[in-house]
Amino acid sequence: MIEKLFLMNGYGAYVWASFGIVFISCLILFIRTYNKLKKYEKNFIKEIQELNKEEKKVLQTRSKIFTQFLKSQKKII
Amino acid sequence: MRNLFSLNKIYIFSEKTLTFIKSVFPFLLVLGLTFALVLSPPDYLQGDVVRIMYVHVPSAWIALGTFSTLTILSIVNFIFKIKILEIVNLCIAPIGLLFTCLAIITGSIWAEPTWGTWWAWDARLTSMIVLMFFYAMIIYSQKHIKPKNRSLMFTSLISIIGAINIPIIKYSVEWWNTLHQPASIKITGETSIHSSMLMPLMLMLLIFLLYSALIFLMKYKTEIIKVKRSGVKRL
Repeated sequence: MIEKLFLMNGYGAYVWASFGIVFISCLILFIRTYNKLKKYEKNFIKEIQELNKEEKKVLQTRSKIFTQFLKSQKKII
Repeated sequence: MRNLFSLNKIYIFSEKTLTFIKSVFPFLLVLGLTFALVLSPPDYLQGDVVRIMYVHVPSAWIALGTFSTLTILSIVNFIFKIKILEIVNLCIAPIGLLFTCLAIITGSIWAEPTWGTWWAWDARLTSMIVLMFFYAMIIYSQKHIKPKNRSLMFTSLISIIGAINIPIIKYSVEWWNTLHQPASIKITGETSIHSSMLMPLMLMLLIFLLYSALIFLMKYKTEIIKVKRSGVKRL
């Protein structure tokens, strides 16, 4: 059964190569995008931590995104 | 219209959507791969090599769909100058390029056992290569052309010119004699593919769409943080 799945009547190399290339390419783009997002989030948190209470309040009233971001990063901040 | 594309609203929506996609994606991926590689039947003529269809066809559809979206957004942005559309275009272009490349590569692997050659300069294949160059030009102009207004103008212009290529890709198999087979799935006409193959194909399309949404939302969040960081620096 497993051997049949791998060999696919002689077409295994073509099928597995196609699925493999798609999987690896998608994984690389995912990892790169994820790492970039985490890097920016980390730097953003650093900058927020450097702000005083007044400045934080100003940002929270000005921007819903900022409030949402603080909510999602609660554990870190 | 501007309110509809509000940065705040879309950001909050994207947070919720990301959480949803992350929860269903692994389950759907396992299900889709099981159907595509094990449960779907081999083709009576091509045998098991037909399974390449489950990655090749969704890739090509997403490549074309992404470019069409990019063109529509570029036109809307050109007229209404909505900043959020610039960000959206910036985020979807790399997804389109990835799936165009994947459609070309998997198509080439599929061609070897069925056509007896890895590559032929026929209408469908050549027009897909042209699409890949259009994507590359858009990404280049987004990243390297300064100032922003000029970059926006170039990106819009390239995507509008590139839109001419979309119907060429779609109808190339009908307008010219090509090695590539005509479409088996038609929105208006009769579909010539059996349901035992159509179901896994649609499932794989859903997985690819969810993956695209996942990448898009992560890129979108990154771009929004970039915008918000400049706001913090101004305090």
